[in-house]
Amino acid sequence: MNTGLGGAMDIIGILLSVIFVSAMLIWVERRLLAVWQDRLGPNRVGPLGLFQVAADMIKMFFKEDWIPPFADKPVFVLAPTIVFITMLTGFAVIPFAPGVGIIDFNFGLLYFLALTSLSVYSVVLAGYASNNKYSMLGSLRAAAQTVSYEVFMGISIMGVVMLSGTFNLREIVEAQRDGWFILPQFAGFIVFLVAAVAESRRAPFDLPEAEQELIAGFHIEYSGMKFGMFFVGEYLGITLSSAMIVTLFFGGWLGPWLPPLVWFCLKTAAFILFFILLRGSLPRPRYDQLMTFGWKAMLPVALLNLLATGAVALSSA
Amino acid sequence: MNIEATLVSDLLPLIVYFGAVLAVTGVMLGGAYFLGQRHSAKAANEPFESGIVPAGDVHIRFSIQFYLLAIFFVIFDMESVFLFAWSVALRESGWPGFIEALIFIGVLLAALIYLWSIGALDWRTRRQRIDAQKSGRRE
Amino acid sequence: MELVLFSISSAVAVFATVMMITRVNAVHGLLYLILSLLAVGVLFFLLGAHFAAVLEVIIYAGAIMVMFVFVIMMLNQGEKTTDQERAWLTPGIWIGPSVLALILFAEVLVVIAGGGSAETGQLVDSKQVGIALYGPYLLAVELASMLLLAGLVGAYHLGKPMMAKRREA
Repeated sequence: MNTGLGGAMDIIGILLSVIFVSAMLIWVERRLLAVWQDRLGPNRVGPLGLFQVAADMIKMFFKEDWIPPFADKPVFVLAPTIVFITMLTGFAVIPFAPGVGIIDFNFGLLYFLALTSLSVYSVVLAGYASNNKYSMLGSLRAAAQTVSYEVFMGISIMGVVMLSGTFNLREIVEAQRDGWFILPQFAGFIVFLVAAVAESRRAPFDLPEAEQELIAGFHIEYSGMKFGMFFVGEYLGITLSSAMIVTLFFGGWLGPWLPPLVWFCLKTAAFILFFILLRGSLPRPRYDQLMTFGWKAMLPVALLNLLATGAVALSSA
Repeated sequence: MNIEATLVSDLLPLIVYFGAVLAVTGVMLGGAYFLGQRHSAKAANEPFESGIVPAGDVHIRFSIQFYLLAIFFVIFDMESVFLFAWSVALRESGWPGFIEALIFIGVLLAALIYLWSIGALDWRTRRQRIDAQKSGRRE
Repeated sequence: MELVLFSISSAVAVFATVMMITRVNAVHGLLYLILSLLAVGVLFFLLGAHFAAVLEVIIYAGAIMVMFVFVIMMLNQGEKTTDQERAWLTPGIWIGPSVLALILFAEVLVVIAGGGSAETGQLVDSKQVGIALYGPYLLAVELASMLLLAGLVGAYHLGKPMMAKRREA
């Protein structure tokens, strides 16, 4: 079933490049935000500040590995690793290109949903283990927001499953040969995009760590490498969401002239930049507005989209 | 048994990948543990509360809205799983299946509208509600 | 190979469940319960029931357990109730249920020894599950939707008196 997939080169290459891209995103985001805000951004370490990430990494390794004495120690250490591991493991089902990827699951999409549903533990446990009021409030907000948007995230991509008739991500990409699913599934795409931003707790949905109210939210007591894992985990989440959006709605590796892998990377990069642009341009809503928007707008839209897609797909078949 | 055997050997890349992810995580945490500096300062071991001395503990009371949300989430998540099964078998189950799903989603939407109309999805604080009433706005 | 994986995940499931029962800190206990559910998910997968395996993770580990951890965290039951838990874990309390569980276990052993193997070696595709649910079992799905509706409404109205009180205060 998976010819040419999952060789040693695939595993090492994908793991390293995913971590590298996510780490570089820290620099990309800081530079881009700086450009949009008429600043320079990090430009001291290496040409254009390209080595900023390496410097940050070295700094994190040599920082004090501090676990607060008032924290629940094993859970405190476990929390940041959960987001890091679930997000990295999610890349196993991403179809990068024909013959490039780790595994070809028949239920790749469900596997992705299962991992996103597990990643919420990192914020809940971080807030609980820190024994700090701000952490607790931040993690409550984060958990409430994440679980709400998780519901519509699952429902919003089921339209794609209806059109392709499978949970297999490679077959979903192949089913888009005659046209990307962005056109028939535009509503689903919008809901999924919003849910993906909310799931990764990025601006404008960064209420859990809203600096002005909660200082840093659930990771207030974290420092050094454990904070770094939350930080890189966020960028891994963006990369994973972008890759999923490309796979489900924008034809994955499909495209003329260029090799498939290049197409996939270009499309994914475009969505990553879009996520950064969102952060640079939108204000943060109020908490009740965020929850209301999710339950009263996104959920009905996702359900109606599902019904409409089902009716259209059945009558055309 | 034959099917399972091929399945498990197909799974091998995933298992190896998962092991590699665990190894990276271990190296990151372990490296920081061994390389990191150690020092102790007088106030370093207190919870951070914007630079003031921490008051009380974390045993504060939270809004019941959060408990309700947890229940709503579990129930809607289960309903979405039924819809997963429908969407993958859409063509095979045909129009009878569609009508069934229509009723299913109808019940779901009815629940949503009911919760909406009784204000269970209103996340504003008391203060925000009063302010909204004063200025004559609704929602 | 699959036998090795099966044995490992069963051992993990049993070990995690025992740890979950014996923990005095509620959150630690829940973490072991999540681990146990994940191990059961792997068991389902190895038995060929892929859809059930994923649902085990999405529903049990990803939704119901999140709710448990969420509520336990809000009640701050972590450190506070450890002494209480310790007091409850006396032999007098756990011996009764354990004996009953052992009887059940013995029954399972008898069934397995009698050749009533549950192993089918069949792959159950998610599509088959969907066809079954939205075909012969349509009434069950509608009943489930009614049950879930009752759950939603019931949960809200059980919580409502508290909310009303809070609003007055």
